[in-house]
Amino acid sequence: MSESIQTALRTRARELLELGEVSCVIGYERSPRGRVRPAFIYEPADADRLVWDNTCHHNLMVYLHDRKTPPRRGEEVPRVAVVAKPCDVRALNVLLHEGQIAREKVFVIGVACAGMCEEGTEELQARCRRCRERVPIFYDALVGEPPKVTAVDEDWADVVELEGMSAAERLAFWTREFDRCIRCYACRQACPGCYCFECMAEQVDPLWVGIAIELPEKAFFHVMRAYHLAGRCVECNACELACPMHIPLSLLNRKIAKEVEALFGYRAGGDPQTPPPLATFRKDEELPL
Amino acid sequence: MSDNFEPRIVGFLCNWCSYAGADMTGTSRIPYPPNIRIIRVPCSGRVDPLFVLKAFQEGADGVMVLGCHPGDCHYSEGNYHARRRYALMHRFLDFVGIEADRLCIDWVSAAEGHRFAQVVAQFTAQVQPLGPWNGLQRRRR
Ligand code: SF4
Ligand code: SF4
Ligand code: SF4
Repeated sequence: MSESIQTALRTRARELLELGEVSCVIGYERSPRGRVRPAFIYEPADADRLVWDNTCHHNLMVYLHDRKTPPRRGEEVPRVAVVAKPCDVRALNVLLHEGQIAREKVFVIGVACAGMCEEGTEELQARCRRCRERVPIFYDALVGEPPKVTAVDEDWADVVELEGMSAAERLAFWTREFDRCIRCYACRQACPGCYCFECMAEQVDPLWVGIAIELPEKAFFHVMRAYHLAGRCVECNACELACPMHIPLSLLNRKIAKEVEALFGYRAGGDPQTPPPLATFRKDEELPL
Repeated sequence: MSDNFEPRIVGFLCNWCSYAGADMTGTSRIPYPPNIRIIRVPCSGRVDPLFVLKAFQEGADGVMVLGCHPGDCHYSEGNYHARRRYALMHRFLDFVGIEADRLCIDWVSAAEGHRFAQVVAQFTAQVQPLGPWNGLQRRRR
């Protein structure tokens, strides 16, 4: 299955570059050390570097952030092709909705996805076991056959477990977790939704977050980052996978996703028409405060 | 928690309704708990959730966000945005360990001097038994 997807990806990438349809194809390649990493293919001859397997977990939409402005003033924004799993396409949907990139500047090579595995195992990642869509909601070309899998129902078990604790226990849990953070910002850099020119964590006037690598700064960054992703986080888990300290960031994001679904009946990136919940309101809604 | 603990409460009050309402409380000589420290903001919609978190980290035991009643916002819709924002923030802060009872979002109009006193008294009484908040802060060394 992944063999045929890989072949189809290479063929499609070569074609797009040869025809001059796109300036670059963003996909995955194998690094000299054997792991899969993002690849930027500019020449048709390089298309064979592209790979596809169950470790292509990176969300490549994050690389579109650098490609929304022209390389030089007065030039056109170049069109790029990007390999996208269903979850990645939802992230792209968020970017499109927020006017970050023009639809015609991206050629979406959608991949029917059987799920990504935990590093070094054949076990599906938790988020992939829960995944509700195996084919991207939109694409310009689709690669692969929709896989036959039965998605488990979303039970929010990980979030519910923490909710069951007392506030003091939760505080202790998060104090321990936040305290391990080294403020490297890998989570933010990997996140398709974090594209601010000046992140609140690095803003100096006003200085909301001090420069110390201490608990208050770290907690502030995490709580506020998760909140900035409210109704926008597509649970691609790129942040958690990028974290060198294995901080369970998905718990923060999923708690918010759960509440957003409960309060506003909204799921990020699923529908290009409805605006994100915190950018809109209904006058007559009753919200528990 | 000791009975004489006096919670420190930060209140973000919108200029057009709640702040004027608090003024009304004063001019009508209605007593209310001195625990609240008032910060005037143009609109409840201006209260970025990071203000709230920052207040908790800088020593507040409870935070109130007070605005105009829905439908009465000076800027038409600021409080509708605030309502959504804090409905979510409330649940999220609780999840990271800041008890839901430490945050209050409510509506007080410029004419509701009595209501302002009541809301503050109620919230102070609600925070009092929780004791001082000192989580997610700089640790004393
Ligand atoms: S916060 Fe994490 S899971 Fe959510 S969109 Fe960003 S990278 Fe993906
Ligand atoms: S954490 Fe918030 S301010 Fe920083 S880049 Fe992400 S969305 Fe922007
Ligand atoms: S990637 Fe991990 S260690 Fe780095 S800033 Fe994010 S949470 Fe902290």
